[in-house]
Amino acid sequence: MTILQKELLHELSNSVVEMDDERTTELAEQYVENKFDVYEGIANGLAHGMDRAGKLYEEEEYYIPELLMCSDVMYAGLDVLKPHLDYASTANKHKAVVGVVEGDTHDIGKNLFKIMLETTGFEVIDLGRDVPPIDFVNKAKEVGASVIGLSTLMTTTMDNMAVVIELLKKENIRDDVVVLVGGGPISQSYADKIGADGYAPEASAAARLAKELVKELKKSA
Amino acid sequence: MNHYLCVYEENEKSLLELLQEDEVKLESPCGGNGTCGKCKVKIIEGIVNKPLVEEINHLSKEELDSGIRLACLVYPKGDITVDVLYKKERNQRVLAEGYIPEFEVNPVISKRVYTLKKPTLENNVSYETLFSRTVKNLKINNLEILKQLHKVFEEEKVTVIYDQDEIIGIEPEDTTESLYGIAVDIGTTTIVVSLVDLKKGVEIQSETAINPQTKYGLDVLSRIDFVRKKENGVDLLHKAMIDCLNTLIEKLCNKNHVSSKKIYEMTIAANSTMMHLFLGIDTASIGKSPYVPVFASEQNFSASLLGINSSPFAKIYCLSGVSSYIGADIVAGVGVCDLDKRHKNILFIDIGTNGEIVLSKKGELSSCSCAAGPALEGMNISCGMRAAQGAIEGVEIKNDNIHLKVIEDTSAIGICGSGILEAISEMLRVGLVNKAGRIKSKESIIDDENLKGYKNYLTEVDGKRRVLLGENIWVTQGDIRQVQLAKGAILSGFYSLLNFMNIDMKDLDEVIIAGQFGKHLKVDSLIGVGIIPDVLKEKVRYIGNSSKTGALMCLLSHESRKKMEKLSKQIHYFELSTDENYEKLFTKCLSFKK
Repeated sequence: MTILQKELLHELSNSVVEMDDERTTELAEQYVENKFDVYEGIANGLAHGMDRAGKLYEEEEYYIPELLMCSDVMYAGLDVLKPHLDYASTANKHKAVVGVVEGDTHDIGKNLFKIMLETTGFEVIDLGRDVPPIDFVNKAKEVGASVIGLSTLMTTTMDNMAVVIELLKKENIRDDVVVLVGGGPISQSYADKIGADGYAPEASAAARLAKELVKELKKSA
Repeated sequence: MNHYLCVYEENEKSLLELLQEDEVKLESPCGGNGTCGKCKVKIIEGIVNKPLVEEINHLSKEELDSGIRLACLVYPKGDITVDVLYKKERNQRVLAEGYIPEFEVNPVISKRVYTLKKPTLENNVSYETLFSRTVKNLKINNLEILKQLHKVFEEEKVTVIYDQDEIIGIEPEDTTESLYGIAVDIGTTTIVVSLVDLKKGVEIQSETAINPQTKYGLDVLSRIDFVRKKENGVDLLHKAMIDCLNTLIEKLCNKNHVSSKKIYEMTIAANSTMMHLFLGIDTASIGKSPYVPVFASEQNFSASLLGINSSPFAKIYCLSGVSSYIGADIVAGVGVCDLDKRHKNILFIDIGTNGEIVLSKKGELSSCSCAAGPALEGMNISCGMRAAQGAIEGVEIKNDNIHLKVIEDTSAIGICGSGILEAISEMLRVGLVNKAGRIKSKESIIDDENLKGYKNYLTEVDGKRRVLLGENIWVTQGDIRQVQLAKGAILSGFYSLLNFMNIDMKDLDEVIIAGQFGKHLKVDSLIGVGIIPDVLKEKVRYIGNSSKTGALMCLLSHESRKKMEKLSKQIHYFELSTDENYEKLFTKCLSFKK
């Protein structure tokens, strides 16, 4: 790797953390002009910065507005890099199906999770909000997802997460996917009770957890 | 000490459920989800499961070592003895009073006296026939009236009770001096009951209580969830509320030497969930998208159907609401303020776990409800408590010191909604917290002339920053985030309505703050954290418990009743969570930048 590429990657990461969209676009253009590896630009530049932003969120330094601003900046950079991306390098991405469970229409938490999943390298299929349990199962089967992410803000709808897990068992694909749950009323105990594979209080930690769990899933497969 | 023996049951019930079934009062704001950490108990004897991860997060090592646990996560494996650690129920402030507009007293219920002709051998027709000859337009189709007829004929005079033109009851002798009613506001947290003299047209006295349903969950969603999960949940919550209302009615009657049998009508204002539960109606549909209530319009029933302590002829009138999240309590407030009639642009807001907002653009009304969370009520805050004795309710930061105002001037044991709001407002003002809501680090203020004097108030625990307010009382970074969420929810609702109605913030003539919790939030704090934008500072007015006032007006005035029924149909409801631009707006509103 050239010194210039290293520098650009470092700067890309910084400009995401610093929420500077103009600088990010400039850097991304410069990166492309130099014909550096685009996949690396995303993973070690833009996504690296977003990952740092997620950690700052966990450390309470950043909050939702900062995290979303960073993600806007990351996506601005991606718009520049993506057209130059080699198809082969995206083909074997793990897929994740995410959505807000049926009965709930509050989706900010899910959106944050989606961003962080993309940052960690997942291809995310977003089913939106108020999603019937069976839709998660069907979509996961259709795309061969390794992760299902379920989100809710309301106590009254959280039990639909358990319904999704039951349906996965019925369809005999429970062991093929990692199920992550999150949202205001959700806790680790609740995740354990309904037999979800993971829970984290923050979107960034949840996305990291998803990555780890998928690794284990593939190992045991 | 509050030693308590809990008897083991075969079915997997949590200690919290067992205690609640035995009517042991225990705070459980999150409804037993393990997320709030408030239902602490000490296990004295008995075998239970090992502490779960939430307990390890919420409890200190010392607490865990001494056997303290969270009741909602403890599953007894046999009979156990526990110490219920709740602080003895402190007197929580309840706001019963509020602004009352002028209105014409014209109650729906009235009485008239008649002199009866007694039967004779020459005229030996039934009591019913005789009675109908004296009292015109009478058709007796009411069993209660039939039952009373023989008693009435023992006396010379009879008093007839009317609901407008309809006869609803009869009483022997002239009882026109005793004509009473009850006006009720059922809040999610508090209940206010007023005894009203319908003849004189005056409110005699009011009594208040904490809503007995709070032990099953603090906010409406946890109540709805309780109803959904518990087999007879709706009956339990319904009965708890009726019992509480009857107790309050009895208290009022005893204090004022009034017989409850002389209460002929009760009017009720409440949010939609409370209104459903008051009538014993299932609430499931309110708790999930598309969030529809079973009913929203005004309701009229016989009070005996609900077991309300009153005359056997008494009626119940429930005020009308708009939707699941804009209930009769808000319609009442809008009616009290005459929002529809005034040629002004007025913003009406009731601040609570749900912030309900109504905007009047020269009488054209639209509304929305925002999920503010319970932070402004002192809940979901690490040292949070309700506004009761020992709660910090005011905070002032000056001259290198943090000054506290504590309810009833005792030593501080926690912080309530108005306290947390003012604390953060002050921290923002002096700069201990930046505009993004981040508490500054100790190192960063050491060289700052204006801030270095506060360095001993700043601390870090496990890498998480907090500001100390007193011994064992602090505001954590997480607490500030909770207030930001509340602020973001309310302010974004505010802007959404303005956008929707196409008017500008500066075109508002007035901001009316209604309700229990709003009353205690100072204008300076509201402006300080940005719940209310700066430009509106001089335009804020508090109207107190306008829900109860609305119920009172409906009890005393037929016209007010009609007015509010009409209003409820004029208020447009706007669902925020599905609005395309909402997330961007909400995010923007989270910041303390102005």
